[in-house]
Amino acid sequence: MPNTWPKERRLLGTRVQRLDGPEKATGRARYSLDVNRPGMLHASILRCPHAHARIKGLDVTAARKMPGVKAIHVIVVPTETGTVVKADGNAVVVTVGMGDKAKERTLKVGPGLWLFRESKVVKPTDLQADDRITFQVEEEAVGRELFYAGDEVAAVACDTEEHAADAVRAIKVEYELLDALVTENDALANDLKTVPPFGNKNDRNNVRLLKEEKNDDIDEAFKKAEVVHEGEYGAATINHHCLEPHGLVAEWDKDGGLTLWASTQAVAGVADTAAKVFAVPALKVKCITHYMGGGYGSKFAPEVEGITAIELARKAKAPVKLFLGRADEVVLGGNRPSAYAKVKIGATRDGKVVAYFCDTWGTPGIANGATVGPLPYVYEFPSKHTRVSAVRLNTAMMRAMRAPGHPQSCLLTDCPLDDLAAKLGIDPMQVRLKNLPENDADAAKNFPQSYNAMRHTLYSEQMKIAARLSDWEKRWRPPGKGERKGPIKHGMGMALHTWGGQASFPNDVQVTISSDGSVLVESSTQDLGTGERTVLAIVVAEVLGLEPKDVTLHIGESQYGRSGGSGGSTTCPGTAPVAYMAALAARDDLFDKIATRLKGKKEDLAIEPGKIVDKGANKKYPWKEACARLGMDTVIGKPAANDAALKQGVSELSNVKVGGVQVAEVLVDTETGVVRCTRVVAVQDCGLVVNKLGCESQVAGGVIMGVNYALFEERVMDRHTGRQVNADMEFYKLGGIKDMPEVVVHMYDMPERGVIGIGEPPTISTAAAIGNAIFNAIGARVAYAPYTPERVLEALVKA
Amino acid sequence: MNDPSNHTKGAAGVSRREFLRGSGAGVAATALAHAPGVGLLEADTPKAKTDAVPAIGPAPATVKLTVNGAKMTYAVEPRVTLLDLLRNHLDVTGCKRVCDRGSCGACTVILDGKPVYSCTLLALEAQGREVKTAEALAADGRLDAVPAAFVKHDAQQCGFCTPGFVVSLRAALDHNPKATPAEIEEALSGNICRCGTYEQMRHAIADLCGKKGE
Repeated sequence: MPNTWPKERRLLGTRVQRLDGPEKATGRARYSLDVNRPGMLHASILRCPHAHARIKGLDVTAARKMPGVKAIHVIVVPTETGTVVKADGNAVVVTVGMGDKAKERTLKVGPGLWLFRESKVVKPTDLQADDRITFQVEEEAVGRELFYAGDEVAAVACDTEEHAADAVRAIKVEYELLDALVTENDALANDLKTVPPFGNKNDRNNVRLLKEEKNDDIDEAFKKAEVVHEGEYGAATINHHCLEPHGLVAEWDKDGGLTLWASTQAVAGVADTAAKVFAVPALKVKCITHYMGGGYGSKFAPEVEGITAIELARKAKAPVKLFLGRADEVVLGGNRPSAYAKVKIGATRDGKVVAYFCDTWGTPGIANGATVGPLPYVYEFPSKHTRVSAVRLNTAMMRAMRAPGHPQSCLLTDCPLDDLAAKLGIDPMQVRLKNLPENDADAAKNFPQSYNAMRHTLYSEQMKIAARLSDWEKRWRPPGKGERKGPIKHGMGMALHTWGGQASFPNDVQVTISSDGSVLVESSTQDLGTGERTVLAIVVAEVLGLEPKDVTLHIGESQYGRSGGSGGSTTCPGTAPVAYMAALAARDDLFDKIATRLKGKKEDLAIEPGKIVDKGANKKYPWKEACARLGMDTVIGKPAANDAALKQGVSELSNVKVGGVQVAEVLVDTETGVVRCTRVVAVQDCGLVVNKLGCESQVAGGVIMGVNYALFEERVMDRHTGRQVNADMEFYKLGGIKDMPEVVVHMYDMPERGVIGIGEPPTISTAAAIGNAIFNAIGARVAYAPYTPERVLEALVKA
Repeated sequence: MNDPSNHTKGAAGVSRREFLRGSGAGVAATALAHAPGVGLLEADTPKAKTDAVPAIGPAPATVKLTVNGAKMTYAVEPRVTLLDLLRNHLDVTGCKRVCDRGSCGACTVILDGKPVYSCTLLALEAQGREVKTAEALAADGRLDAVPAAFVKHDAQQCGFCTPGFVVSLRAALDHNPKATPAEIEEALSGNICRCGTYEQMRHAIADLCGKKGE
């Protein structure tokens, strides 16, 4: 198989309308939230209203008697495993633990005891000695610790949503309130150790230093610097706010099989996890996600709500739908962690940075991990000192959000760089050019198309394009000296970003050609709105000489084989090469099967748009006519197992790391502090563009998400109740169409690099570019995003 | 499920306090206050016409309405919203439930020719009325100009907000076929997209306004 894309491309890189566009735009596309199954129940979860509490008592008796209740599941209770010693209608005696730790336990039979054998609910009288069972004892809820407002306690499944809402309120829980911290500043001031234990040492510290890197010569380097700037930068925690909430519909069948209609970025992964958790043979679990209403990195696992739905479905013996309500979706459906920092940056008079210090902290919620990416970001500085701390809080854990860590790192690098440029009196674009990492000659020897081999050239060229499209040379003015109209000042800012976007493997793609000429592509990969369906159709149609609409797509169902979760911008680079190989294999199989029937040789057959050509006989057959020669045969194309070209990761088919440059323009009202972003120019590389229309739409979408991050979004916690006060869509601000700038997208097409992911990179540098544009407009730095009127006015007062 | 004896008592039979206890949600009372007092239950409640205030619920009450041209009848608790009636009971899922409190526009439907947030209306308020959802914009397999422009310019990504935008835009053009792009943007300012498809939406709007909404 060839390991390069065709040199002449008929469809690849053109503008192709998404194939599922009409279904989606007319509400006919059925998302998982839209699935209604016969006899389906609706579920609702009872959550801890306190930021940190211990359960003193839990009583579901009243809830059981509420109208329409079909099942109750106490989520905080663990599912344990044991071997039956003896069982009758009153008690079940089991052995739990292995070897020396094995001990006998007597489980009292009652409504609070659940017994399962081979993943099915069983009665105590069904059990025999030596049966391996799992069990749940509802009374064990007492004593469980809950770590944030929103932590799950119990759930109900009812005939209607309204009954579920009533029944969940009838569950009685008594809480012992514990110390809680929900803001970074409170935790930094007084570490009360309020979070779940972490690591072997039972470490409950709220504040943890995760990483410190320091060059020996850092102090020396700062002394040598001719100009030094110090400042504070950062951004607040924001919520994913997926419009389709997290959740799924679960349905068990009579044979112990399980079907899930999930809103997920990882169809294969969710099926695998469900199979493991419920001990169901993997091939008996099917996960379906035909359409997905937004994930942005937050929907890889079934999560508690998904597992709960499956549990309720097996207890109620009926399909169960459980999706988060809006407030829950906001609070715990995912968040991009905050990152704040003190930064010090030193340079020579000509703008060459010599030293960079960054002390950064942010909150991963109850999780533990860094809230930033690489520091410094994109640029390389000769000497650096970085300290990265996690401020763990009683808030829902962070989840990956569109380029996790990168927008924060970009703010902590590109914003100080602009302030430094101002101090030096140099155009910040020139400072950027001076500090770009050099092209790596060694990398160029191995692979001249690699990011490292060409990064200096890539960014320099992209900056030139961005400057041209934004008229930077003419319109950029030193900070505070821009065009103005009364109190309204104009400013321009620039920022740079990078992202991996390397292919994920393994992905299975199968191409079938039928004797009537129809073509089917099957893969378990999912289309989150990224246009993945259309990507696969373009690639296969390119090879077979067809139009994308001629290809039928069956994707988003786990039974079609392996596929990676759609995260890290890995899906298009992971699947497009596989689809390409599968289409080539199908083409070759077709030639094999029809050559003699066309009275030709397979070596002489070739594909032209809509036709199969016999070069030997100088004959052309319309596609359908040629396929008709298959007769009773069908063609199935799959990539050769372990094809080297697909395992390489970095090849001409698919590469890693992209660059992008953005320029933002703002108007700042210096009397009200209101910022309006009027225009953003985004120059973006993603290797070989598969669908230009889809790529442009991804880039513009990334920019718009970045505008929201820069100007509007912030999770606001109430430090007294420990709850989020804006878990909705009126006080959590997301921009509408009138709030958005004109977005100018320039795809920096580099087909020689192969396919690289595009989902994440274009959202990274927007906030930093806007932050810099505001600084450029008013000559004062607003430290933390979102750059709200209040913060803008505060910065103006300080300046 | 629909026991008529439960909702023919009239105001004298069920006190306001009992009604509120049964329906559970404060929103039910608020919305009902704005609802036309007469005709909520149509022929089901002959007594309602003689009583000052018709009392409905807490048991399910029958709603008859036309959805995308089809006549439908269903009995739901009075607290059920029009959105939930459509999605959960009538299996019309083009209107999406997102914020569920009138802030995002994903549930927008056309009620007797006017765009409304179906999450802020009770199902009973649609009694005898005509509802059109995004699905109506591909009737007989012909794609309406608005969704067609969205497809052409790729003005959708995950697509979850899209039916709401499409319905709002269709209603705006129906109201004023000569609307300018700025007027259309104003009409869409009650809708929110998370993926960030506004730029492509503007391309679609320019296209539609150029064609005068045909």
